[in-house]
Amino acid sequence: MARPVRISLVMYQVGFGDCFLLTFHYATMARHVLIDMGTTGLPKTAPAGRLLQVAEDVRARTGGHLDGLVVSHRHADHISGFARGSGRTSGSVIASLRPSVVVQPWTEDPRARPNAKRPVSERTGRTAFTTRLDEMHRVAELALAESRTLGAAEGKAFAQRLAFLGETNLKNAPAVRSLMRLGRVRSYVSFGGRTGLESVLPGVKVHVLGPPTLEQSEEIRKQRRRDEDEFWHLLALTGLATPRAWSAGARSLAKADAPSTRWFRERLRALRAESLLELVRILDKAMNNTSVILLFETGDQKLLFPGDAQIENWQYALSKERVRRLLADVTLYKVGHHGSLNATPKTLWELFDKRSRTPRRGRLISVVSTMGNKHGSSTRDTEVPRIPLVEALKERSEYHTSQTIRSRTTFWDEIELTVGG
Amino acid sequence: MSHVSIARAREVASPTTGSARTRTLTVIAQDPGVRSRGRIVTTRLRVPAEVLAPGPWGYRVHVIDYDSSKDALHPRAAIDEATDAFEGAPDGTLLGDPRFHAQNVYAIAMATLARFEFALGRRVGWAFSSHQLKIAPHAFADANAFYSREAEALLFGYFAGEKGEVHTALSHDVVAHETTHALLDGLRERYTDPSSPDQAAFHEGFADVVALLSVFAQPSVVGAVLDPDAEAPDEVVRVSALTAERLKRTVLFGLAEQMGEELQLARGSALRSSLDIVPSPDLLASAEFQEPHRRGEILVAAMLSAFLEVWVRRLQRLGEVRSGQVDRALAVEQGADAAERLLTMAIRAIDYAPPVDLQFGDYLSALLTADVELRPDDSRYGYREALRRSFAAFGIEPASPTRGAEPGVWQKSPADLRYDRSHFESMQRDPGEVFRFMWENRTALGIEPDAYSKVISVRPVLRIDPDDGFALHETVAEYVQILDTRGSELADFGIARPEGMPDEQRVLLYGGGILLFDEYGRLKYHVYNHLLRKRRQSERLAYLWRSGAFRAGASIARRIAALHRRRALDMAGDVSEEW
Repeated sequence: MARPVRISLVMYQVGFGDCFLLTFHYATMARHVLIDMGTTGLPKTAPAGRLLQVAEDVRARTGGHLDGLVVSHRHADHISGFARGSGRTSGSVIASLRPSVVVQPWTEDPRARPNAKRPVSERTGRTAFTTRLDEMHRVAELALAESRTLGAAEGKAFAQRLAFLGETNLKNAPAVRSLMRLGRVRSYVSFGGRTGLESVLPGVKVHVLGPPTLEQSEEIRKQRRRDEDEFWHLLALTGLATPRAWSAGARSLAKADAPSTRWFRERLRALRAESLLELVRILDKAMNNTSVILLFETGDQKLLFPGDAQIENWQYALSKERVRRLLADVTLYKVGHHGSLNATPKTLWELFDKRSRTPRRGRLISVVSTMGNKHGSSTRDTEVPRIPLVEALKERSEYHTSQTIRSRTTFWDEIELTVGG
Repeated sequence: MSHVSIARAREVASPTTGSARTRTLTVIAQDPGVRSRGRIVTTRLRVPAEVLAPGPWGYRVHVIDYDSSKDALHPRAAIDEATDAFEGAPDGTLLGDPRFHAQNVYAIAMATLARFEFALGRRVGWAFSSHQLKIAPHAFADANAFYSREAEALLFGYFAGEKGEVHTALSHDVVAHETTHALLDGLRERYTDPSSPDQAAFHEGFADVVALLSVFAQPSVVGAVLDPDAEAPDEVVRVSALTAERLKRTVLFGLAEQMGEELQLARGSALRSSLDIVPSPDLLASAEFQEPHRRGEILVAAMLSAFLEVWVRRLQRLGEVRSGQVDRALAVEQGADAAERLLTMAIRAIDYAPPVDLQFGDYLSALLTADVELRPDDSRYGYREALRRSFAAFGIEPASPTRGAEPGVWQKSPADLRYDRSHFESMQRDPGEVFRFMWENRTALGIEPDAYSKVISVRPVLRIDPDDGFALHETVAEYVQILDTRGSELADFGIARPEGMPDEQRVLLYGGGILLFDEYGRLKYHVYNHLLRKRRQSERLAYLWRSGAFRAGASIARRIAALHRRRALDMAGDVSEEW
């Protein structure tokens, strides 16, 4: 059976976002898989049209056809490049590459139904889960709108953090719509499922390690107290938009109001701002945890792409002895969630046998697409990329970061792997 | 004593005027979900009378109806001194008039404060310097409600439910719960410090205990859920409906069912979840109950089970009106009264609890000791016996090893102390004088001389035995000790350094205690956690290190707002996986 002899991975400089082109080279052909294409902040050195540049480069490298497209989850920094819009856009270029197989998490399946606990292959029904994802975007939208009324209550840095996270979680409708139509085969996968990528990648095994179905995650939860609606109670916020009869008499504060009232207003606005940021963080995390986790295995190479999965997503896979063994000899790790503090579970990191302090053949390769000062804050130990993690990656693996890609013409980093074994 | 009447009176005929000490105000008895014959159950709460400014704005509570989501201020609600304007108001008014919402939070907060002052026998302050706690009944559009020390306030959110808008300010238990956080913070400011799983759980558990017992102390609430299967509810109730098992199903679960379902979004259902806990001595050690809010529910469960036991014991003393039937009002009254007694005991115990690193066993010993001191004879209804049994069933044993007729009470303090240089009068109010006494007796009292030490409060108290009106005078002084060390120095104190803690990590070790003086100024009890108790400190540090308390930004995650959100979302972080 044909097997790749070589693999190349191209990491594009897309600022705060992910875009990877994975190419499997066979003796007589090459097969291409694009993993995510999005950004929520470009570096100063990149032109505004960077994603179109990237799409054109993908077209050139693939010769006009994509065999696979993996969309890890629906955050803007992973999918914004798929929006088509008018004229020639990155989205229209990717669509023209007619990807054969498109892989997305089961939560994106338009046929998922209300209270879906399993992928649609086991159940059929309406579109409730996706509706819920849409509702989450609505919450982000409302939180953002409200945060604007808070103005400078909490200072500029705070407002920027909130705006950044809020915007990442806004619905990217054109991109989502475009993705729903792409692909000859559309796979909506969960742990243990099949991607359909094997049909276009001979000799490559693709393991799906996440996201778990709701039922799978329940299995490992210490406790089960509330129904699956728990996250969606955040939708309570959507009540914001409706006019309320009881509040008809409310008015703005005036100079004549008691000083204690004005003092209180400032305190409450500050607390509210903090609380909105927390809400948006919860949304962000929930969405990150819908990420597809894929492990590509061929010969002696194992490449791990976990999207932005955090521990809650990883937990199910890591609870399986079989999976832990499978992960021990990972050769390349795409660092989860741009190097944030909780997307590379320490349990996972400890599994990697190919880590080593000294450069040597077969040393673990780590690849992170990220940008500093966009996400989190170092005073709270939440900066992205997280410094202790970066230090560990540098010390124990061959570390590649998109932050060092500064050229306007060579806006990528290319990694070559030889397949042996 | 006006305090006695405040806490003991519940439903009364009319508001009082003139120089009266109390007045009554209509509030929603539990929440708009609890109904009787289709109507929202209300009750009239007795609160301290005062000259109110519009808000209402009183000497302890200032309702400021500011909505931060809209950046708008609602008109201030004026409460007339002589009338209860919302008595008999239709449900539409209760739900839709922001002035009623303001009255509802004001009255419940004041009644809760009055309960604390009655139980503790003195004025109770807030944790901040202002005298007036701010309350915002429509603070934001959000399924959340919380106490904030920084804003000196209780903040109640509103949100869109499936059947219309839900106001957290209209839930008796939510308002009482938040008020309790504020009061407990005033009494024991160190209880919000990260310390042990028990202490983290205590704020929530205690707030739930006070809130739920306050609700069960309302006869109208108990009456609405008692014996729901009776064909025609009337003046009598079947004896068969009054067993512990039946009462648990009808009254406790019944109320849990009716309590605003959508409010559980904001809060989780403490009542429901507590009732579902199967008693076992192993619960506290199990992984599930390491999460603070879940652990707090054990405290609630133990308290509710003692409540049922006492209630049933009291019911057994009721005479039957007809064969197999007892007077309904009396049966309800027995339950409400039992709840009220337990509530008073629960609050009083705080004065007997160590001010730092509280564990459930400490609280149980405090609960028993406070009650023995005030009410030595427990033979009638066996409150203490019920508490011992029910706490033990949930794995909580008294921290004090005392045996005998009253097992688990704190040990009396040593008799050979020096009093000759302290002055009785000053010892009742002056922290400096109390510190002098402590210092002179530091060896006998086990005070660590090397640590930073401070007497943080000295409070004279007067408590009344509910059975015979006997008055108990005491003085309660609180002190803390702090030792500022580094990770590398822990071994010198015999304390285990958590794995991975760097040498230069700053570590604060806390200790402290309460000194309880009798009416002659003699020390009765010294209840304390020594700051160099090796095992306890080693466990505390291990827990704190594991749970991320040493991380930057941890103080923000600790705030009660975030605690409530995590409780509703059932989220548990796992910092051991983080970088």
